[in-house]
Amino acid sequence: MNAAIDPLEISALVRIMDELDYYQLLNVDPKASTTDIRKAYHASSRSFHPDANRTLNEDLRGHCGNISKRITEAYCVLRDSRRRSAYDSKRAEGDSLRIKLADAKTSHTKQRKAQARGATPQGRQFHAKAESDLKAGNLAGAIQNLQMALTFEAGNVGFKALVAELRERRKASSERPS
Amino acid sequence: MAEIAVGIDLGTSNTCVSMMQNGEVKVLENAFGERTSASVVHFHEDGSVEVGNSAKAKVIHAPAQTVRSAKRLIGRYHFSEEVKKAQAVYAYEIVEAPNHGVRIEIREEEFSLPEISAMVLREMKQIAERHAGDNVTQAVITVPAYFNDNQRQATKDAGRIAGLDVLRILNEPTAAALAYGFGMGLNQRVAVYDLGGGTFDISVLEIGKDIFEVLATCGDTFLGGDDLDDRIIDLLADDFVGKYKINPRNDPYAYEKLKLAAENAKKALSIDEETLVVIDEVMKSAEGETLGLERTITRSEFSQLTHDLIMRTFKVCDEALQQSDLTVRDLDGVILVGGPTRLPMIREAVAHYFQQEPRGDVDPDEVVSIGAAIHAASLVGEAPDSMLLDVTPLDLRIGVAGGLAEPVIERNTPVPIEQTRTFTTFQDHQESVQIRVYQGDHRQADENAMLGQFEFSGFSKGLRSDVKIDVTFEINADGIVKVTASDQATGQEASTQITLSSGLAEEQIERIIEQDVAGRVATGAKAESAAQKQIAPITINGDVPGATAAKVDFVEYSPFGDGKTDLSEGFDNDIKLGDVSEAELDLVDDDELIQLTQEADMDIGAEGITLEMPADQAPDDDDDGLFETSGGDLAGPQIQLTDEKK
Repeated sequence: MNAAIDPLEISALVRIMDELDYYQLLNVDPKASTTDIRKAYHASSRSFHPDANRTLNEDLRGHCGNISKRITEAYCVLRDSRRRSAYDSKRAEGDSLRIKLADAKTSHTKQRKAQARGATPQGRQFHAKAESDLKAGNLAGAIQNLQMALTFEAGNVGFKALVAELRERRKASSERPS
Repeated sequence: MAEIAVGIDLGTSNTCVSMMQNGEVKVLENAFGERTSASVVHFHEDGSVEVGNSAKAKVIHAPAQTVRSAKRLIGRYHFSEEVKKAQAVYAYEIVEAPNHGVRIEIREEEFSLPEISAMVLREMKQIAERHAGDNVTQAVITVPAYFNDNQRQATKDAGRIAGLDVLRILNEPTAAALAYGFGMGLNQRVAVYDLGGGTFDISVLEIGKDIFEVLATCGDTFLGGDDLDDRIIDLLADDFVGKYKINPRNDPYAYEKLKLAAENAKKALSIDEETLVVIDEVMKSAEGETLGLERTITRSEFSQLTHDLIMRTFKVCDEALQQSDLTVRDLDGVILVGGPTRLPMIREAVAHYFQQEPRGDVDPDEVVSIGAAIHAASLVGEAPDSMLLDVTPLDLRIGVAGGLAEPVIERNTPVPIEQTRTFTTFQDHQESVQIRVYQGDHRQADENAMLGQFEFSGFSKGLRSDVKIDVTFEINADGIVKVTASDQATGQEASTQITLSSGLAEEQIERIIEQDVAGRVATGAKAESAAQKQIAPITINGDVPGATAAKVDFVEYSPFGDGKTDLSEGFDNDIKLGDVSEAELDLVDDDELIQLTQEADMDIGAEGITLEMPADQAPDDDDDGLFETSGGDLAGPQIQLTDEKK
């Protein structure tokens, strides 16, 4: 099994865990690259992930679980540049050794919204028009505006899917008059 | 003696069990020599139960006594869309249980979904025992990566009812990746495109020798092979209506025949360019005349019919790639999972999207169960270890004022993970607080899946904002959520440390296990001699989500202000977030300012809103969620502006 880790080491680590910052917890340098941080996360997981500790007694497994959760937290913060810089400034002020994940937004949060509405100003504009067409029940208008949006963002799969869906809807409504 | 642990892929349409023996994984055949069995449960008149392909054959004659696609219903509330849809198309009786639960009523007996799934799992257990020549009690069971906590918990319950110790609930795409890369010493980034009978998942993984790290997973639990079938059913039914002016959809027997024909047509189109559907008798006319159907379907016709569904999967793929900071060019391989991915049109679309041919060396129907078996063996020490580092598929949220739900743990956060948030009471001498927990991508609480709620009381009473309550959210390696509350001052733990579940309470599960409901499953070989058992009616006493009108508010503790405003008075919401915390001030960057200007141009919600704003004044939220976060976008920059003046 992986869990060649000394039970004493587990107990010791769980005792001092709250006094370690994320870098110490993962055993990496504060200047470590993302690749090194990922490697450290893998190495720690080998020792503390619940799957690696099934043979230990319940107490030790509980400890490992707690360490594992904290390691994941450290990894979540340090692997994301935006979160990491937020953490670094907090840590530099001696403010806190931990940070709440929900308080430090990831770099993805923004992109996610942008993608759905469009990545270019024109794309967004036509997509917004399509949305208001839809609200007004103007299916044909919505399709037209989405097609316009697609001329600016040919690769936007979200737009494509929406057009396909609307076409399907238009087809269905013309086939089944009710 | 070697420990036996099996891997079970409990699918919407088919279930497959595998086992590792002497270092080799084998897909286990059932009594009829089939490598997968239909996830269909047929109830005989004598109370005995038949599972598998022979049960599926009974759908046409006894649709009301034959339960299929139970996975679409497991862990769902009775009011959910999926349940309504199932009620419209399935002939078996779907009834509401207290606690907004779902029960299947057959021959005047009620069964919970975990019980139905347990019957399928019991059949797999028996198949494994026949092969092992020994008891099999341990298993890894797979679920769609996009399953929420309720669905995972219900699946785990099903395993217990079937008499299995569930070692791990494993995500299907992760299992597939393990089967693909186990023992190969790979260093690759792969995408797993998993289109099952009822669900779609996409996972992006980084494989580094024996480490399988999921970078992101996204999905759609309303999209699968069944939906492809539905399009063919519609085509056939419309044809039939055109010809005879009778709607076969309203006749359960006719519907089942169309469904079967559609499924077969779909499979035929995996191989042939076109297929002829012939149904001698769909139904009888009012005059007793036999009404049949004949229709040729071509591949291109089918492809047109389902084009939008396939496009929907790529929208989800886009999201997953974005969340993993990768593009299709970064991927070394694409693995296809699920029966529908045998369709040439899907393979072509996938190859086109990912700009590479998908791997041809994995069997899309068996790969998940093989991966599950490898992991099961590794967990009991019968196979070399491989680390599976998975993520949670959905935002975990807590209900706050204004009918909103604030994220505590974002989707695609690795698990296991724990986050603690501190809240404070809203009124002086407040005696209890209500905590509601949701999973989903929406800011509007109602649009997410509610995992449960509980009341925390018994903490030290004091003036508002003096009492500090820690609420801890934990997601374990199974993806199952646990929430606990504790009082900082007294260290008092929540009396109600709940395992959030819309499903069965612990006592109920124990009762069901005692009654050995799964024991009704006769083995394929001796189906005739199953004894009838009397099952006591099931009573429900769990939490009733949404039923309690919570009157007490409390606010999140914030060192930067007490966050109290009178705005939220009069709402029946429970928790109010305090002022935006310092971290958020730091993190608003210039990009968002630009975004603000652009959005203002587009006239989406002219005013910024704050979290305290009542729901009915918030910008309109569309069903598709495109506008769901406009409030949040605008709230950030507002603060940024203030900050700049300092």
